Amino acid sequence: MAAIQFDHVTKRYRIGQWLPTIREALGRFGGAAPDQYHVAVNDVSFAIEPGQSLGVIGPNGAGKTTILKLLSGVTYPTTGKLNINGRFSALIELGAGFHPDLSGRENIYLNGTILGMRRAEIRERFDQIVEFSGISAFLDTPVKRYSSGMYARLGFAIAAHVDPDVLIVDEVLAVGDYAFQTKCYARMNELRAKGTALIFVSHNMDAVRRVCDRGLVMYRGNNIFQGSAAEAVIAYSEAVRRAARAAQATVPTEGGLSERVMTFDAEIEKVTLFNDQHQPITVVQSGDAVTVGIEVKFHKPVQEPIFSFTIRTTDGRIVYDTTTRWQKIQTPNFVADERCYVEYSLDMPLLDGEYELGVDVIATDFSHYYDRLERAMGFWVKSSDGAQGLVDLEAKVRFEKFPLQEHRV
Amino acid sequence: MTVVNPAVIEATAQATTRPASARFRHLFAHRDLLLAWTLRTIRARYKQSVIGGLWAVLQPTASTAIFSLVFTYFVAIDTGNIPYIVFSYVAMVPWTLFTSSIADMVDSLVANMNLVSKIYFPREILPISAMLARLLDFAIALALLILLMVYYRIPFLSFNLLYLPLILGIQIALALGLGFMGAALNVFYRDVKHLIMLGLQIWLYASPIIYPVTKVPAWLRPYYFLNPMSGVIEAYRAILLSQQAPGSYLISAGAISLVVLVIGYYFFKQVEFQFADVV
Repeated sequence: MAAIQFDHVTKRYRIGQWLPTIREALGRFGGAAPDQYHVAVNDVSFAIEPGQSLGVIGPNGAGKTTILKLLSGVTYPTTGKLNINGRFSALIELGAGFHPDLSGRENIYLNGTILGMRRAEIRERFDQIVEFSGISAFLDTPVKRYSSGMYARLGFAIAAHVDPDVLIVDEVLAVGDYAFQTKCYARMNELRAKGTALIFVSHNMDAVRRVCDRGLVMYRGNNIFQGSAAEAVIAYSEAVRRAARAAQATVPTEGGLSERVMTFDAEIEKVTLFNDQHQPITVVQSGDAVTVGIEVKFHKPVQEPIFSFTIRTTDGRIVYDTTTRWQKIQTPNFVADERCYVEYSLDMPLLDGEYELGVDVIATDFSHYYDRLERAMGFWVKSSDGAQGLVDLEAKVRFEKFPLQEHRV
Repeated sequence: MTVVNPAVIEATAQATTRPASARFRHLFAHRDLLLAWTLRTIRARYKQSVIGGLWAVLQPTASTAIFSLVFTYFVAIDTGNIPYIVFSYVAMVPWTLFTSSIADMVDSLVANMNLVSKIYFPREILPISAMLARLLDFAIALALLILLMVYYRIPFLSFNLLYLPLILGIQIALALGLGFMGAALNVFYRDVKHLIMLGLQIWLYASPIIYPVTKVPAWLRPYYFLNPMSGVIEAYRAILLSQQAPGSYLISAGAISLVVLVIGYYFFKQVEFQFADVV
């Protein structure tokens, strides 16, 4: 039996005040505009089995929070059905219901009961919660004196010890330091191994990939993609790009707006990674020669465009970046409907891990993008020589043991 | 999501078809939350307050002092062999519980909207614990009443004190019924709170708190006791001041209060599913 099942769920909100003011009520008799609705979630279906994890991604206003609210039972669908089997624990906001004047100890009991635990259960797990949160020295301090990190740590510790059948986590791991985040991921995996289904909502694509096996991409209330987490992240990038195109707007990145404008005078049609036999691949053996092929179509006349190519780690650090301009390659002028093929050949001395290919077509003075695919595709590198990190610098090892020396005063 | 102003959705039948027995089981499963939230409310109320629990007695005491001054020295009211101050304080203590609990209940959902819109739990927990949290104040004020009666050498010990839980229960039922309705309506219209506070002010004069029932014209009395608080206050006076069992007026007060409770709770559960959407 699925832990969670969404069956054609739609959630509609009426726009504006739910009650007319007196003036509007009078206006309505005079034939004012009828009610308008906003569809926050439109006909979404998915199911999660126990032990599975699903990442929900999408830009702001895509309906992610509404899905969480539906899941947690805070709000109900307008049409469609949803089933949740078992106890769930929602982390829509860490420490929701904490009272600032009460101590950490008092708030553990308060928040725990809000999340549906019995008092006896909390008492049983109290020590685990305190140990996990790492706030034992401040147990009797009012939580208003806590740092935001401590607050979030305590909130997560409580929710993660409900032993839920379904755990819903919303964008909470952004707080807390690296060590605590690692602990949170470990705890989530531990719960999943015990059969907890996990729903994870985040803007952090790296976190989604680390935590989730499946991804669901929301865009303006519609579920535009379901698949593996890695595919979902790329589908999300694609959705963001299409949105920018529709709006002819500045290039949006997940973090905010970049300054350069995307005009779509050119369009990146295809990006492929090939091995040395010219077969398309997504897994590269470290050190192997590969080529990246890019097909571009021009919609308007463009003069001497710059083609760029970037490799990033999944958390966005640039590993390698080059452009035709930096390589001193003179590109021709293009007219509408012309096409071209750009190929980059390189050795891949990267180490074990997941990476992303990004591709841009840029105006000759770097003033704007014609098209930009920040995450054109993802690929994996496998290495076998035991080194760790980003790049295989191929260190040669020499070893020598010194003979024992006697020390004299 | 911030562009539009999410408001209420049209009603879905799905949310409200849970049978009553399941509702109570659900509420019972959350009894620890009810306790924890009640304690939180009490602790939070008096944290960072100098006189803390003394506020519980200050409210009825101040009202009693003012009315005693007016109705003893300015416009003398005959209260028999009971000093006016005791006569009115006996009524003022339960009345303060009544008004303060209703005021807290009406506010309880709106004040905790951040919780209501984020986590699911039976929503009636909030008004019920607002009610329960005021019982501590009532107990403290009642203790002062005993001291007052000892001071004025008014006997109060009798078996009729056993009626106290019943009378208190009727009063709580009435307050809960009104509180459920008020809390739910206040989510949709903030005017409700102001309306209820105004209503409670008027209600004070429609109940025998600062004057004895004997001052009410005889022809009006049958209607006068349609107000359940008239019966409740008279019952408190009967058992505490004259060591008598309450009269039949308590039966009608109990019946009316029970009906109000059932209607209030039913209404609350009917509109509950919209709370998070309205905010």
